[in-house]
Amino acid sequence: MGKMMLCTLGISLCLFSIIPSAFGIWLTLPSSGTKCVSEEIQTNVVVLTDYIVIPDGSSLQPSIGVKVTSPYGNNLYYKENTTHGNFAFTTQETGNYLACFWIDPHYQGAKEVSVSLDWKTGIAAKDWESVARKEKIEGVELELRKLEGAVEAIHENLLYLKGREAEMRAVSERTNARVAWFSIMSLGICIGVSGLQLWHLKRFFQKKKLI
Amino acid sequence: MEQTQWKRSSKMWMVLASLMMSFFSGIESLSVTVNDVECVYEYVLYEGDTISGNFVVVDHDIFWGSDHPGIDFTVTSPAGNTVQNIKGTSGDKFQFKAPTHGMYKFCFHNPHSTPETVSFYIHVGHIPSEHDLAKDEHLDPINVKIAELREALESVTAEQKYLKARDARHRHTNESTRKRVIFYTVGEYLLLAGVSALQVIYIRRLFSKSVAYNRV
Repeated sequence: MGKMMLCTLGISLCLFSIIPSAFGIWLTLPSSGTKCVSEEIQTNVVVLTDYIVIPDGSSLQPSIGVKVTSPYGNNLYYKENTTHGNFAFTTQETGNYLACFWIDPHYQGAKEVSVSLDWKTGIAAKDWESVARKEKIEGVELELRKLEGAVEAIHENLLYLKGREAEMRAVSERTNARVAWFSIMSLGICIGVSGLQLWHLKRFFQKKKLI
Repeated sequence: MEQTQWKRSSKMWMVLASLMMSFFSGIESLSVTVNDVECVYEYVLYEGDTISGNFVVVDHDIFWGSDHPGIDFTVTSPAGNTVQNIKGTSGDKFQFKAPTHGMYKFCFHNPHSTPETVSFYIHVGHIPSEHDLAKDEHLDPINVKIAELREALESVTAEQKYLKARDARHRHTNESTRKRVIFYTVGEYLLLAGVSALQVIYIRRLFSKSVAYNRV
């Protein structure tokens, strides 16, 4: 009885380690070229990613290359000739983070390769198991703690959106003022330039003794 | 002895079950560049799950706003039927109940040659039903309520992600407007000054000695 329990526990633990990486979006990589996905992330956000090449039944397992770059161009992760892996980083800059995948040149053929990508940022990347172990909570209390985390994340996001909207409103109002000023200045320049023309031509004709 | 063993194993199963529930996140929020057709696949575990999400086209420098009508969005079920079809839009929200479990295909189609960046968010939500409650005696009715709460919070998060993507698009348009205002007005001034200088030079040449000015 005990052995069977351990056996099933072992199998289910194995399943649980594979299932998270199978839960994610699947991308099909073209046979040549790279496929990139990006996300705009703020600073100090934890990003956790798992990727795994989906086996297509044939014995030949194609390997892929992965590259993750920060918005300023720094290389955060680079790996070639791999079929699965994971990486995590904390963002240092606000901007567009890019993750690119390509099929290794050896395996480039006519077939397209499917990659399962599990990209988690912020609250979704939080390690709840360690929190449960540290504070010795489980079951319903852990679920409620997760919900509380989600609510806090929503609140933070709302403040961020408010700040962005205020910035954009400032830019819009400045542009509006500039349009008004530049149009009036354009009229002024038009009048000024034509005045200059008239004055110059009058002087020219007076010099030529035509008027 | 038997009872304590059962109690221990049931507790373990509860922990495992709660751990398993934590893996049902099914949240994906990413941006992808669409040249012609880009498809994203997501696995739906249970029939009857609610699949919700949104997508926004963050436009690349389009010159005239009327030039690009938008992109088409299609959702195909594992059986091959089209579950959702939205045409010619620059961003929308969607929600539907999955008719079967399996691999669903979410495709973006760009009818024009200019590549577009699409920022999308897909969420697969599962709420344990009465049937699941009856099947698994370790699932409390409270788990159903917690799942409903979680789904409600996810919908708020989805809305926020949509707003964030729209804000990025508006910011892009604003920046483009600001640059155009400055660039085009300064260019206009220089052109005006240049044209009037050319006019003066031309008139001067008409009256110059090298050309027989008696003709004028």
